[in-house]
Amino acid sequence: MKLTVWGARGSVPAPGPQTTRYGGNTPCVAITLADGALVVLDAGTGIRNLGLTLASEPQRIHILLTHLHLDHIQGLMFFAPLFNPDSEIVIWGPEAPGVSLQDRIARYISAPLSPVEIRELPCAMSFNSAPPSEWEIGPATIRAESIAHRGPTLGFRISEAGSTLCYIPDHEPALGAPLDPSQPEWISGYGLARGASLLIHDCQYADEEYEEHLGWGHSKLSDAVAFAACSEAERVLLFHHDPLHSDDFLDSLSDLAAARWVQYGGAPDRIALARETQEIALAGQLLGGA
Amino acid sequence: MATGEVRQKPIELILARNFLASLSTPSFLVDHHGQLVYFNDAAGALLGKRFEETGAMSAREWGARWGPFGEDGAPLPYEELPLTTALKQGHPAAGRFTVRDSSGRQHQILSSALPVVGADAFRGAIVFFWPLDSSRDLIGASP
Ligand SMILES: [Zn+2]
Ligand SMILES: [Zn+2]
Repeated sequence: MKLTVWGARGSVPAPGPQTTRYGGNTPCVAITLADGALVVLDAGTGIRNLGLTLASEPQRIHILLTHLHLDHIQGLMFFAPLFNPDSEIVIWGPEAPGVSLQDRIARYISAPLSPVEIRELPCAMSFNSAPPSEWEIGPATIRAESIAHRGPTLGFRISEAGSTLCYIPDHEPALGAPLDPSQPEWISGYGLARGASLLIHDCQYADEEYEEHLGWGHSKLSDAVAFAACSEAERVLLFHHDPLHSDDFLDSLSDLAAARWVQYGGAPDRIALARETQEIALAGQLLGGA
Repeated sequence: MATGEVRQKPIELILARNFLASLSTPSFLVDHHGQLVYFNDAAGALLGKRFEETGAMSAREWGARWGPFGEDGAPLPYEELPLTTALKQGHPAAGRFTVRDSSGRQHQILSSALPVVGADAFRGAIVFFWPLDSSRDLIGASP
C-alpha cells in the first residue's frame, strides 16, 4: 500500500509562514491499495487537497473516521467527490450511545454550520459503525478498536500483502498510569499497533507542555515514543502536531524523538514527524517529501 | 513482522483500571467473566498484598483468600455478593461484610459494586469498599 499525508496538524488548522514545512492542515492520510482502491483516514482539512487531485471519474472511496472531533471531519464538506453524482462515499466511524453516525456527522453538515445538508449531496453516501470484528476493503483487512482519547474514538489497523499500517492520531495511552510493557494488553491501542510496519501516532506535546494538558486526550513525546517502542512498530510517524508548534520547534522535537527511539534500540531514520504531502510506500521505500 | 493477534483489553476496563490506580479508595475491577483483573494499592494496603504480587484471579479465588466471610467464618456464597449482582443482573448493589487480610486479621467493610457497560457490550464491574475499623488509616484519607 502507498500512503500520502494530507494533513498532520492537530486541533485546528495552522496555516502560515511558521508551518510551511510540516503543514497546517488537520488530519487526513490517503491510502492507495494494491487494486487502486482509495481508503482515506480522517477528513480533516487536508482532505480538501486530496479531493483536488482526484480525477472527476466515478470513484468508490472509503473514509475511516477515528472520531468526530472537528479537526477530523472539518474537510469533509469540501471534499470534491462528495459533489460528484457518480461517486460513492462509504464512511466508517465509531459507535456512540443513542445517536447514529450519520446523525452525529449531520450536526456539522447542516444549518446553521453548513450551507448544505447531507441529503442534498449528489454522491451516494453511506454510514457504517466500525464493526467489532475485522472487515475487508478490497485487498485490505481493517481492524478498529476503541482507544483512550476524549469521547468514543477508534484507532485503525490496516493490513495488506504483509504490510500493516496502524493509525492512532489522537491518543493518550499513559493517562492515569504509566505505560507498562510487561502488561501490554492493558495498554490502549497495543493490539492495533503491535508489530506494525508503520505506526502513525499522536505526539501533540513536548514533554514540558504535557502537565498543563493532562487528560486532554493527547500524548507527550516521550509517551508516544514509549508506546511505539512497546508495540514494536517497525517505523513511526509522529502526528497531530500542536497548532502552536512552528516548523523549527517541530524540527527540535524530531531530534528528541530520534534520540529517544535510539535509546529503545531503534534506528534514528525509522522515526520522524509527519509532514504534509509526505508519501510512503509500505514494504518499499520512501518516495518523497521526506 | 509480528501479527495483531494480541488484543488490548476493552477500553472501558483500561480506563477504569487507570482510574482506580489513581484512587486511594480501595477498589477492584472484575471483567464480565467474573475474573478479578485488578485491585489498586489502597485495596492492597488493606489486604496485605499488592496486585503485582498476586496477579489476576477468579472472584471465587479472591473470596476464598480474603472473603467476604459470614458470621460463621465461612466465605459467603459467590451468588450473594454485590459483585455478583452487578455482573449477573447488571445493576448496582451494596453490602456490609467481614474480610480477612493476609495476616489473618478481620476487617468490617462496606462494599459497593457498579456495572461497567461499554458502547457495545457489558464489560464487568467496579467494586469499591471502605473499611469501618482503624485500617481506614492505611488509606490515609478521609472526607
Ligand atoms: Zn484531533
Ligand atoms: Zn480528538
